[in-house]
Amino acid sequence: MSEPDVTHDVRLPWEEDPGELYDHAPCGYLTTLPDGTIVKVNETLLSWTGYTRRELIGRRRFRELLTPGGQIYHETHYAPLLSMQDDVHEIAFDMICADGRRLPTLVNSVLGRDPAGLPRVIRTTIFNATERRGYERELLAARRAAEASERRVRVLQQIVADLAAAPTQAEVAETVVRAPGPAFGATSSSVWLVDEHREVLAAVAGTDPATGTGDLALDSAHVVAEVARRGDLHVIGSVREAEEHFDGMASEMVRVGRSTVVLLPMTTGCPDDPAAAEVLGVLGFSFAAPKELTDSELRVVRLLGQHAGQALDRARLYDQARRREDRAVFLVETTHALEGTQRLTERARRLVDRLVPEIADWARVWLQVGADGLTEEAGGPAPDPDRLAGQIAAVAVSGEPDRDAAGLGCVIQPLVVRGRVLGTLALRPTAALRRVSEGAFLTDLADRAALSLENARLYEQERIVARTLQRSLLAHETPQDPRFLLDTHYQAGARDLEVGGDWYDSFLIGPDRLAVVVGDVVGRGIEAATTMGQLRSAIRALASAEAGPARVLQGLDHFVERAENARMATVVYAEIALDSGEMTYVCAGHPPPLLYEPARPPRYLLDGRSAPLGSRSGRTERIEQRIRLNPGSRLLMYTDGLIERRTRPLDRGLEVLATEYARRCDAPMPGLTAGLTDLLAGREHADDVCLLCVALGAEQRLERSIGADPVQIGLLRQDLRGWLATNSVGDECAQAVLLACSEAVANAIEHGYRDDPFGVVDVTATVSTEAVEIRVSDRGTWRDAHVDVARGRGLQLIRQVMDHVAFDRSDGTTVTMRRIRRDQS
Amino acid sequence: MTGQVTSERMGRAELIRLAGDLDVATAPTMGREIVSCVRGAGAVLLDLTAVAFLDSAGVRLLDALVADLDRLGTPIRLVVGERGPARMTLQLCAFRDDLLAVDVAEAADGLTG
Repeated sequence: MSEPDVTHDVRLPWEEDPGELYDHAPCGYLTTLPDGTIVKVNETLLSWTGYTRRELIGRRRFRELLTPGGQIYHETHYAPLLSMQDDVHEIAFDMICADGRRLPTLVNSVLGRDPAGLPRVIRTTIFNATERRGYERELLAARRAAEASERRVRVLQQIVADLAAAPTQAEVAETVVRAPGPAFGATSSSVWLVDEHREVLAAVAGTDPATGTGDLALDSAHVVAEVARRGDLHVIGSVREAEEHFDGMASEMVRVGRSTVVLLPMTTGCPDDPAAAEVLGVLGFSFAAPKELTDSELRVVRLLGQHAGQALDRARLYDQARRREDRAVFLVETTHALEGTQRLTERARRLVDRLVPEIADWARVWLQVGADGLTEEAGGPAPDPDRLAGQIAAVAVSGEPDRDAAGLGCVIQPLVVRGRVLGTLALRPTAALRRVSEGAFLTDLADRAALSLENARLYEQERIVARTLQRSLLAHETPQDPRFLLDTHYQAGARDLEVGGDWYDSFLIGPDRLAVVVGDVVGRGIEAATTMGQLRSAIRALASAEAGPARVLQGLDHFVERAENARMATVVYAEIALDSGEMTYVCAGHPPPLLYEPARPPRYLLDGRSAPLGSRSGRTERIEQRIRLNPGSRLLMYTDGLIERRTRPLDRGLEVLATEYARRCDAPMPGLTAGLTDLLAGREHADDVCLLCVALGAEQRLERSIGADPVQIGLLRQDLRGWLATNSVGDECAQAVLLACSEAVANAIEHGYRDDPFGVVDVTATVSTEAVEIRVSDRGTWRDAHVDVARGRGLQLIRQVMDHVAFDRSDGTTVTMRRIRRDQS
Repeated sequence: MTGQVTSERMGRAELIRLAGDLDVATAPTMGREIVSCVRGAGAVLLDLTAVAFLDSAGVRLLDALVADLDRLGTPIRLVVGERGPARMTLQLCAFRDDLLAVDVAEAADGLTG
């Protein structure tokens, strides 16, 4: 067996020219000197690069055919490797072709040395790597694209997640405006939102200078408005493109240094049906460097627009729902605030106070009540008064709201109840309320306010009727008799409570029997006043010389069975025998009467008690109590308003009343009950207060102390006149005593207490069969009366009408005056 | 009790009726009201029959009123009835008899006569 001899060429079937093989080999051949000077090159390489042989041989070195990067690589890697190991393999170089093209190549070189070992020649084969490098480049580009896409998707996913969490349109805008930077490498971005009326594009986020950051009218010529109207994505690739289509934009792009601008509408609705889509806003972003958006980027941009649009839509619905809820709460709270009072004026006041500043910066309610109407106003500044008055009058007549009252920036709502215009509500809404559609809300508000105010008006009307009714019932003449003295007082509740059912009454049963009553009907308003009137009449009808108080109460219990409103009314009722001084009394669930007898501290009469009228659970067996009253006794009956106070227990109230009553036991009878009411309940007391005081029998001795106030003289005179009559002092003598006493007291006040408004004048009167004696004392400093001509006349009068006058100026001044009773002799 | 002042025209005279107490407490107010009624009257009839009480402060008021009207030449009569508090006090203070009349008719006669 013989092996083929590999040292010999295999004989080819055709003649092979070695030169032909060299020139047209499938790779380039290059032979250079050790310094790289080209000495031999084959046809293949020339055809690839486009050079001629003459351009290269002896004229160019290999590295001069390389790109700048290739030349550096040649210096740092290729040449040192070749000189160290005499060969290098598969070095990638880009060669520069004759026409400037780059030719990717792979290079193998072998260094040939002379017998002395010095470099003699470099033989290089060059393979065309165009296709392989292109593949690699594609691979790289694809990987980069995938990475960019993945980054965009990640950014978009984050944005979508953020959008889903954004509850308001403003927050959606804040999220969207952050997207273009990381997703597409945009330099800056801005967001506009279309307002509810589709009139304005409000710039709500971002600072993109190319597209602008101010609000725009939706119908303006601005490119952002155009995008919002048309609803398609606009990409302005370059300043030149902008110049062609959007003239204003181009100069702006140049000014702020932007090369590419993207305007993306944010739309709701179905992406497949662009006609049905509604543009809710526009996202604008721009690039400083020129940017060409790839198809995949554009897809993502569009996707962003849809996601943002949906988020805006959801936020808008959410905003609306929340606003509706806020308004519902506002309406309920307003109604509640108004119901806090019954009074009309107070309700009107509360209404405007509620509206300003919450929903309006100025508000005025005007009601057609009374002669002049009623106006309450809050906030300011008020609009031009003349024009406003005209518009209000027009609304009051038409009953139709005026949404923009003659350009005053106000809304005027009629206040309509059951088809009648009660008045108007004018207000200037806050900026926040103006932005959203407020028509339905304001109508709702006006309706509620109108109903509440109408109720208050009806309440006022009823209140006036009830008061009138009550006053007329209480205004009966009290019986006049020298054997007793009556003083009564009724004080209506000061606050906005309805009229109460408190009453007092006094009447004579036959010539010698006095009946006195104080009662309190449960409930308020006209019903209570009417019931009070019925009970009052019932008592007068039931009282008789034979019946007595217990029988009267039984009769009332019977009456209550037919008059349900009177059930649980409380009554104190007493009959006083004027000849004997014997009193019989009953107390049906009512505060106990308070009795003062001369020389004793006041005491509450706690007997004769039983349950309120018609009580089903209380003790209704009616028992009466008898007691003999000494002359000079004073009996006080009252309703619980006098002693009840939220800040004071009832016991304490009774104690205070007893103390104050004791202090006044020598005060003139007239004005006694009013004084007690003032002191115990005060003028601002919420509840009604009703009092009756009866003074009995002829006091032998009248003792009174009055304050240094001329008005008190008149009250004292009434008391004294009654006392004189009780003691059967004749008219002429009584006149004289009254005149002398008045002059003496006036003297004490004008001279003794000239400098002391809190001084007290004591008056004592005694009567015998022969004479009446009056003593008037003060503790002031007397001045010479003769200096004052007027007072001098007073003294002169005293001396004229009295038979005996004496002055004692040892401690203050005491005048003692005596008048003989000529009528008796 | 407070005093009341009412007035009506009677020919060229002003008829002013007083009621209630005319005393140190009510004189200032009633005085102002009387003066406002008197202004421009050709003659004055002051009816005091319903006055329940008249004290020295009231007398001083009436005295001043009479003096003023005398100075103006305006005739005045005080109607005080046959008895009663007003007549008593005025007589005690020795008011001129020609000033006092029992009733309005007599007073009116006095003015014209």
